[in-house]
Amino acid sequence: MKIVVCIKQVPETNDVTIDPHTHNLDRRGLAGVMNPFDKNAVEQALQLKAATDAEVVLLTMGPDDYAQSLREGMAMGADSGVLLSDRAFAGADTLATGYVLAQAIAKIGDVDLIIFGRQAVDADTGQVGPIVAEFLHQPQITYAATLRLSGPNEVTAERLLEDTKQTLVAQLPAVVSVRSELNTPRYPTPRNIQLSFTKPLTTWHHDDLDLDDTRLGQAGSPTIVTKVYAPTPVKRALTPLTGTPQEAASQLIKALKDRQLL
Amino acid sequence: MSTRNAAAEKLLLQMVDDYTTREVAPLDMAIDHAQDFPEGYLQQLTQTGFLGLMLPQEFGGAGFGPEVTATVLNHLARGNASTAVTLEGHYKTLDQILKFGTPALQQQLLPSATQRIFAFSMTEASGGSNPMGISSTATREGDHWVINGDKIMITNGGLAQVYCVLVKTAPTELSVFVVDQDMPGFSFGKREDFIGLRGTPVGEIVMDHIIVDDDHLLGKVGDGGLIGDSAHDDARILMGAVLTGIMEHELKIATDYAKERKAGQTPLTELQVTHRKVADIAMRKETTKLLYERAAQLKAAGQPYSEEAAMAKAHGSRAAVAAGDDALQILAGYGYSREYPVEHLIRDARAMEIAEGTVEKMRSAIATAEFHK
Repeated sequence: MKIVVCIKQVPETNDVTIDPHTHNLDRRGLAGVMNPFDKNAVEQALQLKAATDAEVVLLTMGPDDYAQSLREGMAMGADSGVLLSDRAFAGADTLATGYVLAQAIAKIGDVDLIIFGRQAVDADTGQVGPIVAEFLHQPQITYAATLRLSGPNEVTAERLLEDTKQTLVAQLPAVVSVRSELNTPRYPTPRNIQLSFTKPLTTWHHDDLDLDDTRLGQAGSPTIVTKVYAPTPVKRALTPLTGTPQEAASQLIKALKDRQLL
Repeated sequence: MSTRNAAAEKLLLQMVDDYTTREVAPLDMAIDHAQDFPEGYLQQLTQTGFLGLMLPQEFGGAGFGPEVTATVLNHLARGNASTAVTLEGHYKTLDQILKFGTPALQQQLLPSATQRIFAFSMTEASGGSNPMGISSTATREGDHWVINGDKIMITNGGLAQVYCVLVKTAPTELSVFVVDQDMPGFSFGKREDFIGLRGTPVGEIVMDHIIVDDDHLLGKVGDGGLIGDSAHDDARILMGAVLTGIMEHELKIATDYAKERKAGQTPLTELQVTHRKVADIAMRKETTKLLYERAAQLKAAGQPYSEEAAMAKAHGSRAAVAAGDDALQILAGYGYSREYPVEHLIRDARAMEIAEGTVEKMRSAIATAEFHK
């Protein structure tokens, strides 16, 4: 079994500022650490590794100093790391990031399970995992609070949503994003920190991947940030979908059309 | 000289700071009040690999060098000084086995040092700063040694499982043997009720006809004084680091309080009396840091470091008590209360004016070194 854990390096401080021109986070000059939610993803992969002897590969996209977070994950116990680093990737939004990650996962090959943290603490979107699943045409389970291998080729996860809980089964290969309730990440031991520097860390640049250049970096990013604010939560009534999957799908399509969303 | 990897050191200190913030600092007050570490606390410290921090990788450790080892204790002590001192006692003992143990003894003992705490014991009721005053003996009988005696005030005494013990092998000859708590004739005595560093057990061991072979001798017969001095030197560097951590804690408490509190309508941060105290704490902290780092650098470079190590501990212990007193005065009534940590930081620091050689003995050693220049 091969598991890829996608991680992100985020600013060490909560004291981040917004670039007044782009309205994006200004990460310049900030020391980085592994996104705390991604540690839950690494821990989950390591627990699966202990149970199944899986290979755990860490994947991240960013400048050269993102290797530090890959080393940290390898010090926790991951087997290897892949850094996607190229000027052509800079300025990517979640879509352009997800595209490059998906192409890299395809290159890694024979990946059974892809795990993400629920979201990054700097931008808080939680979008990259689902985007990667769509690019790879794989089933996805987001916000998993439990995750287990429930068969030779499937995972079962409990999703915790705002006011409900779902149990979902997905055929592998699949993408899962995990919540922090899932586990308590282990600390990398001093010895494993030292030994992590003997594990393979590969850097892939633009030319190492099969990429459509129009999907890369700022040019490949449709997101335009016009304003950053905290939205007020709006609680709406839930309408359960009932009947066979076909009937439920028809109800969903009707509901979306009624709201002029389709 | 150890090879340094800046990226590994950065990751290590990041982990140590995370661990200190989440696992150590929240228990600081509870450890002092309970006079013990909570259940499971040392097991977690062990599982996280702290016991093997400076142990070479060939023995299952991480192999970090003297500067990093001291810095790790500095950072841990910001959260709780007892935790750092318990590790200090372990590391200084491993250092002596690494320096003076035969390869066979190292191979026999050190792989277990990632899971078992080691301790070094010199003091007895009849002698502390004067090693020749001790009464414990190792007597040659046939092809083995028989050890008898009581050792007191051992850092980690009662907690550690392996002990390096200073004994007399002749009326004027000191030697060091390694004994294990599982050996017949080994037992634990009483634990001291000290006023500071209350998490770290300081206790007694009793050796009643313990039989060991030559392979448990550290160094050569008669090397006891040399090994004891070396253990003191190594401990003093680490104590300088712990004291720096205590002062960083004191400084944070004092500045956090001063930023929130007013005297009448005037914020404490605008009063010259506060400025003077905060500046003095900061200068004491920084000078101690420079001293322990200098001693650790010399040790890592294979240069003599005994005098600098003595300076780090002598200056640092007095400085940390004085800094704590200043911090207490800034907090006034709250500083004097046991509900706030300042008073126990003073008690913690005060221990290091005595342990590993008194401040008076340090000054004597420093002066003697200067006379010989």
